[in-house]
Amino acid sequence: MLLELDSVTTGYGKAQVLKDICLHVYQGEIVALLGANGAGKSTTLRCIAGVIQPWEGSVKFSGVDTRGLPPYTLVSKGISYCPEGRDVFANLTVLENLKIGAYLVDDVEQSEARLEWIYDLFPRLKERRKQSAASLSGGEQQMLAIGRSLMANPKLLMLDEPSLGVAPILVEAIYSKIEEINASGTSILLVEQNVNLALEVANRAYVLEKGEISLEGTGAELRDNEHVKASYLGIA
Amino acid sequence: MGLYIAQQLINAVSYGSILGLLAVGYTMIYGILGLINFAHGEVFMIGAFVCYLASSVYSMSWISGAVLALIVSTAVGLLLERYVYRPNTEKKAPLLTVFIASFAASIGLRHIMMMFYTDKRRAFPIPQVFEKMFLVGGVAIGLRDIVVFIVTIVIMSVLAYFIRYSKMGMGMRAVSYDKRTAELVGVNSSKVTIAAFIIGSALAGLSALAYGLSFGIVNPSMGIAPGLTAFIAAVLGGIGNVSGAMIGGFIIGIGEVLFVALLPASLSPLRPLFVWILLFVILFTKPSGLFKPNVKFEEIWE
Repeated sequence: MLLELDSVTTGYGKAQVLKDICLHVYQGEIVALLGANGAGKSTTLRCIAGVIQPWEGSVKFSGVDTRGLPPYTLVSKGISYCPEGRDVFANLTVLENLKIGAYLVDDVEQSEARLEWIYDLFPRLKERRKQSAASLSGGEQQMLAIGRSLMANPKLLMLDEPSLGVAPILVEAIYSKIEEINASGTSILLVEQNVNLALEVANRAYVLEKGEISLEGTGAELRDNEHVKASYLGIA
Repeated sequence: MGLYIAQQLINAVSYGSILGLLAVGYTMIYGILGLINFAHGEVFMIGAFVCYLASSVYSMSWISGAVLALIVSTAVGLLLERYVYRPNTEKKAPLLTVFIASFAASIGLRHIMMMFYTDKRRAFPIPQVFEKMFLVGGVAIGLRDIVVFIVTIVIMSVLAYFIRYSKMGMGMRAVSYDKRTAELVGVNSSKVTIAAFIIGSALAGLSALAYGLSFGIVNPSMGIAPGLTAFIAAVLGGIGNVSGAMIGGFIIGIGEVLFVALLPASLSPLRPLFVWILLFVILFTKPSGLFKPNVKFEEIWE
């Protein structure tokens, strides 16, 4: 098992957000984490990435408890978190944004190969490599943020709302790339409000409601679930 | 009159170098920690003091005194990071708390030095060789002006290259812009912060040596005015932008000199007002500074 959350309870300051979260990702899977705004999806990812610590329970990555490890150490262990809102470094060029994703990779040749692979994945980034990241469109910034997360050659890529604020035509493109990235061997934990889209690509999914996991199953199982249909897919 | 202004401009170049070197520390630390390191002026003062003490009091050679000054100012900067700023950031203390801690460190260092040495002005040691003057078309150019300018330009070019092309430099720009995301892509922000304090404090020491050579004095409160002026140079150059800080230093150095040269002599005591008028103009017209800042702009003046 690549990632395992065992009864994780956490939050910010004194405000509890997550309660008893049990979740796992197997090597090679795409797992979706679904739920309404404020259900605790991003908090779950932040907890896995080491931005916040679990109050109770544990997060294990490749069988090792990650408690107390800062985000940059977790990156070197193979967890890349591509945060919501695309947070690219607007003061850096596109190429610099990608290079900084390989900050912890000392093997220059490996980084160069990785860069070429990302350029193949997102040719638009190659065309614009010398431009400031601030000059990119929303969808291009999303591609850049994903590309940056991939530069570290992660075992687990966590994507937070990759469709948010992206033109529909680019959403399709980004999702087909997510499958391509997965096929190359990277496991993916995907947070998405667009449930339809997420269930199309995910092997398995969890539904998070008010900080607790209310449902889990394969993509197909959840698509046929009456509660999911009514609450998330808008099918009565 | 023309000759007078030319002479003043020569002096302004040294003054601009001093401000620029000092401004680098402000801009880097403000960029990375999001706060003004008020004690930076005291790091500068201690640098000048160490050279004075080593060379004039303990009769070491000037050059060993100068090297010692750079080492001690860097060490003071590192101690500030470790014992004043890091405890605050680790506890996620509110900005006001860090602000007060920074102020306390500044006043504390200054007054500890006053306790030992009083605030009396002392003569900064200037080696004979630096007294050499060249006359160029009626304008006297001191060897020290030339040395200060060349050393500044060389150091700043190396630093600009480092910030632009090295991995650590890229990490610094990333942390300046968004520390949380930088950590998420693998940048160890603690290391970056320490690097910023090392570079900033060493350059404050270098700036202090240039100040000593140019003005010939040291005293415990010598860091206040250059410190504030250099901070404004950092704002003028765009927070987090190292080359901008340097250019900001030269603009203020030259601007101040012209401000005085063009006003009647009776108004020359108003010289310190120049930078504050300039700060007002910047804040009203282009608060992000002349060059691109390396921070999310909305965060600068929160």
